[in-house]
Amino acid sequence: MSAAVKDATRKATVTTPSDREIRIERVFDAPRDRVWQAFTDPKLVAQWWGRGNKLVIERLEVEKGGHWRFVEHGPEGVHGFEGRYREVTPTTRLVHTFEWDGMPAHVIIETVTFEDAGPGRTKVVNVSLFHTTEERDGMLQSGMEGGLNESYAALDRLLATMG
Amino acid sequence: MVQYPVHLDTTFAALSDGTRRGILERLGRERASISDLAARFGMTLTGIKKHVRILEDAKLVTTEKVGRVRTCSLGPRRLEDERVWIAKYQQMLEERYDRLDEFLRRTQQERTDS
Repeated sequence: MSAAVKDATRKATVTTPSDREIRIERVFDAPRDRVWQAFTDPKLVAQWWGRGNKLVIERLEVEKGGHWRFVEHGPEGVHGFEGRYREVTPTTRLVHTFEWDGMPAHVIIETVTFEDAGPGRTKVVNVSLFHTTEERDGMLQSGMEGGLNESYAALDRLLATMG
Repeated sequence: MVQYPVHLDTTFAALSDGTRRGILERLGRERASISDLAARFGMTLTGIKKHVRILEDAKLVTTEKVGRVRTCSLGPRRLEDERVWIAKYQQMLEERYDRLDEFLRRTQQERTDS
């Protein structure tokens, strides 16, 4: 296998199975138990989840109903993320909720599955399920001015703080 | 296949410009012609048309030509902060997995070395 092909298989594949879901699939060069550890051991999570930013793991209770809370300290600000575990099946499957402090109560459900993908390789499939906000869309259409201004304010905040 | 994230990208790109956000804000209050907008933003007709075209491609604005006047109004795809958040979320997820890939390879190397 050429290096180029090998790199291509490593890239994430992003698809949208429905208008409420984003599915990201990626193969990692590590055995399944190691990848599982990277998702569930706070010492390891701290080294990648913050995308290069300092990450404080306030809570990581990997069990059904357990609470997780991470705080990312980026160059433009501090962002908290949290959720609860709905399902924990060691080394194969994690289901948890995901919320950003900046959009409270906009809950995303993430289902992460870990599959063997040949010797020493693991395929991670992450499906994120969003709640659509049709009621809010309707509201925005009837009260456009206020809605838009609020949206712009939120957009400016996002652009300013999340780079 | 639903083109959701692609829409998000177009929306996000269209909103990355202050004049275009201003145009949307203005159209949120009332419809306006291209020349109204040009006067309001102190731009040439050509300059404003370019911005309106980008907003139109992102379906944030629709235009209608009656006689010699082209009138702009808000399009079918309304701006919504949640939509912006989802676009950022997807980007974060991809960056996170890039980091994980790097981390796993680095630690694998260290394990092999030791």
